[in-house]
Amino acid sequence: MYFAKAFKVNSKNAYVNRMEWSMKEDLALFAVEHASELGADYVDMRLEDHYNELIVVANGKVQRGVINRRRGIGVRTLVNGAWGFQSTTDLTKKGIRQASKIAFKLAKASSKHVPKPVKLAPTKAHKVSYKAMMKNDLENIAFEEKLKQIITWEKKLHTSKKIVRGLAEYSGLKINKVFVNSEGANIRFSNSLTWVSLKADSKRAATTQFYDKTIGHCGGYEIYGKNDMEKVASETGHKAEKLLKAKAVKTEKDATVILDNDYAALLVHEIIGHPSEADRVLGREAAWAGTTWWAGKIGERIGSDYLTAYDDPTIKGTLGYYRYDDEGVEAERKVLIQKGVLKGHMHSRETSAIFGVEPNAGMRAITFEYIPLIRMSNTFFGEGNWKKEELIEETKHGYLISCMRHPSIDDKRYNWTISAQEAYEIKNGELTTHLRDVALTSIAPKFFKSINAVTKKVEILPLPGCGKGDPMQALYVGNGGPYLRGVATVLGVK
Amino acid sequence: MASILTALKEAGETILKVAEKKGLNEAEAYLVSNNVLTIRLVNNAVFESKGVHDIGVGLRVIKGNMLGFSSTADLSKKSLNKLVDAATSTAKARKLPFKYSFPKPRKIPKVAGVYSRKLAELSSEEAVELAYDMVEASTAHSKKIKDNAGVLNVVSYETSVLNSHGVSAKNRGTFFEASLSATAKRGKSVSEGSDATAGRSLKELKPQDIGEKAAMMAVSGLKSKKLKEDTYTLILDYEPAQGVIGYISYLVSPMIARLYFPLFLDKLDKKIASPQVTLIDDPLMPNGVGSAPMDDEGTPSKKQIIINKGVLKKFVYDSFYGAIDKKKTTGNAIRASFAVGVSSFPGKNYNGEPIPFPMNPYFKPGKWKRNEIIEETNKGLLVRRFHYTRLTNPTRGDFTSVLRMGLYAVKNGEVVGAVKKARLLDNLLNLLQNVDAVSDKLVVAGSWGDYAHTPVIRTKAHVAPID
Repeated sequence: MYFAKAFKVNSKNAYVNRMEWSMKEDLALFAVEHASELGADYVDMRLEDHYNELIVVANGKVQRGVINRRRGIGVRTLVNGAWGFQSTTDLTKKGIRQASKIAFKLAKASSKHVPKPVKLAPTKAHKVSYKAMMKNDLENIAFEEKLKQIITWEKKLHTSKKIVRGLAEYSGLKINKVFVNSEGANIRFSNSLTWVSLKADSKRAATTQFYDKTIGHCGGYEIYGKNDMEKVASETGHKAEKLLKAKAVKTEKDATVILDNDYAALLVHEIIGHPSEADRVLGREAAWAGTTWWAGKIGERIGSDYLTAYDDPTIKGTLGYYRYDDEGVEAERKVLIQKGVLKGHMHSRETSAIFGVEPNAGMRAITFEYIPLIRMSNTFFGEGNWKKEELIEETKHGYLISCMRHPSIDDKRYNWTISAQEAYEIKNGELTTHLRDVALTSIAPKFFKSINAVTKKVEILPLPGCGKGDPMQALYVGNGGPYLRGVATVLGVK
Repeated sequence: MASILTALKEAGETILKVAEKKGLNEAEAYLVSNNVLTIRLVNNAVFESKGVHDIGVGLRVIKGNMLGFSSTADLSKKSLNKLVDAATSTAKARKLPFKYSFPKPRKIPKVAGVYSRKLAELSSEEAVELAYDMVEASTAHSKKIKDNAGVLNVVSYETSVLNSHGVSAKNRGTFFEASLSATAKRGKSVSEGSDATAGRSLKELKPQDIGEKAAMMAVSGLKSKKLKEDTYTLILDYEPAQGVIGYISYLVSPMIARLYFPLFLDKLDKKIASPQVTLIDDPLMPNGVGSAPMDDEGTPSKKQIIINKGVLKKFVYDSFYGAIDKKKTTGNAIRASFAVGVSSFPGKNYNGEPIPFPMNPYFKPGKWKRNEIIEETNKGLLVRRFHYTRLTNPTRGDFTSVLRMGLYAVKNGEVVGAVKKARLLDNLLNLLQNVDAVSDKLVVAGSWGDYAHTPVIRTKAHVAPID
């Protein structure tokens, strides 16, 4: 009876046509019920239906053209304070029963070696159905049509013979998800995401350069109508060409640097987003990506008054958008750093109980096959009150660092080196020499304390491939911020 | 096993019939059953135990000169019918400017030691205990060990590939990876150590060894000195040498080279490494960590030399990239997760088209004993772990890795002490061209789902301290 209630969805929010799901929803109830009957203290279950498209075009040739459909179930159990999880694509009652049984058995076997039983911070059992805003359903555009467009965009990357390689990659995802748990939650989410990455490689004599750009959002195909993609592609090609004439930068210690929102996106991702994951703070990622230098420093000053950072899944249209996480917790804006003071982390229900804070909806898994982890949603630097032009005008000597390239970060997210696609030298408040092969390096607290000006306009960009976990889960997130000014060492990258 | 493979084969035959009925010229069904068991350890305890049971099919179709692909995890007749339509729809507009046909049937060789019933049938209870043995061995090694984290992944897969030319081949395999990171503390000093291995059978899994080696490395780093930025002679122990093999594997895939890492594209038959470097791909190696009797298109596996005495001799091919370059498939079609550098699923992947990729690559062993390489090094660094390794400029070969743990100074032929964290900043081609010693023994090494058989190599590279 208890579980039957879980399926009475608030009619006001029932946007999604039941038939649209084309999923056997009773199986979700069955999975939770079965694992509970076996003796699990807590059970949750995600029944998911995925539609994925992938198109890859390089130098005029279609390298990949793919449509995937998959659906399955992931059952998570808590038995004697230990976690067990099993997924299956066998959506028969037999298959579900087997999955629930294995999830129970795995948790029970683990519980022998769990000295501190897992406790979950309480949360409301939400019953809700919602979907991502979408004007033009990905499946309403013929695959052939999309393919033709991606071929055209790739072609536009070739702005001259100096472009030796072009690459256009299109991804489209539609995910229908049902989350139910043994506490009575029932959440349905119908999501749609798409992005295109464009890259141009240029060459002149022995000099090689490249430039890339990603356009994407949570929504439908309409984004490619809002953006003039042919123009974006040709601008990307021109940028790659222009970099061939740019000058190599010379290393300069403690230089004034202005970071644009694209570069800030990777910086905030690597040195604020990842170390803000509470599992990482607790040392639970030590064997993989590493730990966090600011463990135990909540409430301490780690940066200047100009440093504020958030993680916010509630921003519509972003790759990190959701209203409820994969534990059924209602999403909210998380304040990670406020005016230079470390305020909080991203949490699961389990880590919230450990830290004694409210759960803040940080748990996500890429598909039903994976157990949820604490992940970024949209992590970004908070706004200031400067204008971009003012930042440059008031800089006597410095560098405008533009667009992310590659990170090299230590395991504590303390020492960082991140390269940029391009930079400009600033002299007496004006952009002068165009520079290539540039990277910045610093120590996180040193850089945070050096931030002395932040612009008003925040931009959140799509980052579709954030990796974490074992087995690795590559997840789509949003990152960004305003322009920031601080001090870091400018490196010439060989 | 028989029942799963029979069911997969039957589904494959159904798909081929539907495809033929719908007027497609050729079809190829790749069917998979994966079982993955993961025991994750954190903070000296079992953190989570998780499993995946995944069955599905990937379908490629050819209509005229057009190629399409689609996949599904639903093997019902209705779904398989829709699958053929979806694959056909992706083929529209994907016109190939060259002639392409799926591989023809060929005799598949046998490879010993790639499937272990004991590993495939490992119970969750046994897996948890084996994983936890690593923690116990590490903790027992020294009171200075304060924390342990790691993983045991056990994978068993069964695949079946059928195509319109009559290819009807099946394959199965098992695989495990086990790794542990240990943290040692003494006063304010904190140091990490790790060990990891992979194998195809349960008898190769020695959790106590892993735990003990991780602990030894952690304790040895408690007293460490900061190095000066310089170009050093580097002895790359097994794990970092595997990291180099891992990147070469990307570079010799014509698909990955074209799309992402073009460093070797213009270097066929050119010298890219020192004469000490020979890279072989041998999927027929008994017990090989990447061995298989056939590739994921049903083409028989074969041993081949990729880099011969420093000269790049070939790229590896599946049938599609072979057709593009007017070459025959080399039996290197891999159905793996698509994302470069991200091995997101340890089993076989039916959700993507094949990727040409080395199956079981290794550096040909040299004449040196590992200890001789150290003894013959006057001044240098012994590097035992790579972390966060990146080819930051894939056209030029800029290469970086964080030397997070297991870094030691070598002086007058002896390892004289641990060195604090540092960052390697150099070029992969320089690294390969500077190789002047290769050890005589292959050891399975790697991390995070990426393993290979490898010797120890000695080279030179620029290294800077990390504050």
